[in-house]
Amino acid sequence: MAMDFWEAQRRARLRTAFYLALFVVLTLLAAVCAELVLRYVAGDNYEPPLPLLGFGFLAVTFAVAAYNYLMYKQHGGGYVAESMGAYPISADTRDFHEKQLYNIVHEMAIATSLPMPEVYLIPSEEINAFAAGLNPKNAAIAITEGAMERLNRDEIQGVIAHEFGHIKNADMVISLRLAAMVMGFFFALYIGLRIMQLSQFRSRDSNGRGNGGHIMILAALIIIVAGALTWFFGTILKATVSRQREYLADASAVQFTRNPDGIANALRKIAKDQYHDMPKTGAAYSHLYLEDRSSIFATHPPIEKRIAAIEGHQYEEKPND
Amino acid sequence: MWSWIIIAAIIVILVLFVVGIYNRLVTLRNQVKNAWSQIDVQLQRRYDLIPNLVETVKGYMNFEKGTLESVIKARNQASAAREQLAQSGGPTEGSLKNLIGAETALRSSLGNIMALVENYPQLRASEPMQRLQEELSSTENRVAFARQAYNDQVMGYNTYQQEFPAVLLASMFGHHPVDMFEVDTPEAKKNVKVAF
Repeated sequence: MAMDFWEAQRRARLRTAFYLALFVVLTLLAAVCAELVLRYVAGDNYEPPLPLLGFGFLAVTFAVAAYNYLMYKQHGGGYVAESMGAYPISADTRDFHEKQLYNIVHEMAIATSLPMPEVYLIPSEEINAFAAGLNPKNAAIAITEGAMERLNRDEIQGVIAHEFGHIKNADMVISLRLAAMVMGFFFALYIGLRIMQLSQFRSRDSNGRGNGGHIMILAALIIIVAGALTWFFGTILKATVSRQREYLADASAVQFTRNPDGIANALRKIAKDQYHDMPKTGAAYSHLYLEDRSSIFATHPPIEKRIAAIEGHQYEEKPND
Repeated sequence: MWSWIIIAAIIVILVLFVVGIYNRLVTLRNQVKNAWSQIDVQLQRRYDLIPNLVETVKGYMNFEKGTLESVIKARNQASAAREQLAQSGGPTEGSLKNLIGAETALRSSLGNIMALVENYPQLRASEPMQRLQEELSSTENRVAFARQAYNDQVMGYNTYQQEFPAVLLASMFGHHPVDMFEVDTPEAKKNVKVAF
């Protein structure tokens, strides 16, 4: 039985909304906890070195997230592709593979009624691909040379349709937003460590300052713990949301091509792939790729599960997947 | 006094309501037109490719002159049907039927040529032929995907016209259900098989 791609898309969208809400709640909770603990420990002598520390933490997190988000927004998808060493393909290329790739991308642009994105080839033997860019007008799609050599036309079309699914469903916006938030948590952790260093230095320097130094250390500890916890759970949540978006992109690929075999067979070849030589410019981009090793931090579901979903087999879903 | 205000308010709301339906109908009709122009571009692209195909295979296929002539004829007929449709300002019931018929004939004679190409391994392996096959199969896909997108838009437009409340006003504003672009014979549903 073929996959019911409309139903699969609806399910993946619902789950995403749930996990995104959880993400915001988690952030708020961390901030409130930091504030409450500080008040409780300090008791009557509540004289925080930074007033309303918990909310300061919250403000820093969101400010950093917003800053990172704006930085991403300034550069189109082509910038991301080029920073990974990919080279652009033009419409009038004489190379057979390049022309075929351009044609396939154009076909999918017609099927999805989206503008033609920039097309890039990645010099890598591995079978992989990604889409980048925050809106369809400045999006880019990149695929490896290895994928062009070892996949047939239908399979390449399935992969490109999957990437178009990410563009159409605005997954780059969601995952970059999440990546920016996780980075914000990480930044809070870093600030905590700095304050601790600073207060140690100061308490060694001038001994007559009472318990001001202790409060500083306490504040730093709280920021560190809150930052570390939210960073840890934030990373897991980000991966969980990302996995739902992969199912959604697979379902979209079937909708655009009306050919479940293309993407399913491409995934089979990826599962057997020997090469792993993609340029990794930081884990921040891991969500962009077509597949990822599976673990709780993995941004992609296990390939066997994706194939089962595409082909409409019965499979038991675990609640956290 | 109050009753006049209430009556005036009801009239204003009704007018706004009708304006909303009118605008929605226009938007949907423009989306259908835009989707059609996508098909039109791809059909033209295919008609431009066919003379290239004939030139490329001519040297190898002296014995099948009839096949080549029939594909050129089918191509010219389809091209004329497309012209006629474009001149009448978009697909009407008759012109669309005409085009679908011509397209079906063109597809089947293209299929014949591609089947014959299989018998000439040297031709099949030649670089110009490979390029041409890629262009042809990409064009086939584009026509198919553009048709899929067109039919989706048509369905949206027709459904909106047939639903309440637009059903009360659609024909008054000059909106009528549009025919989908369907390929009517089972053999035409298969793409021209382009092997690599």
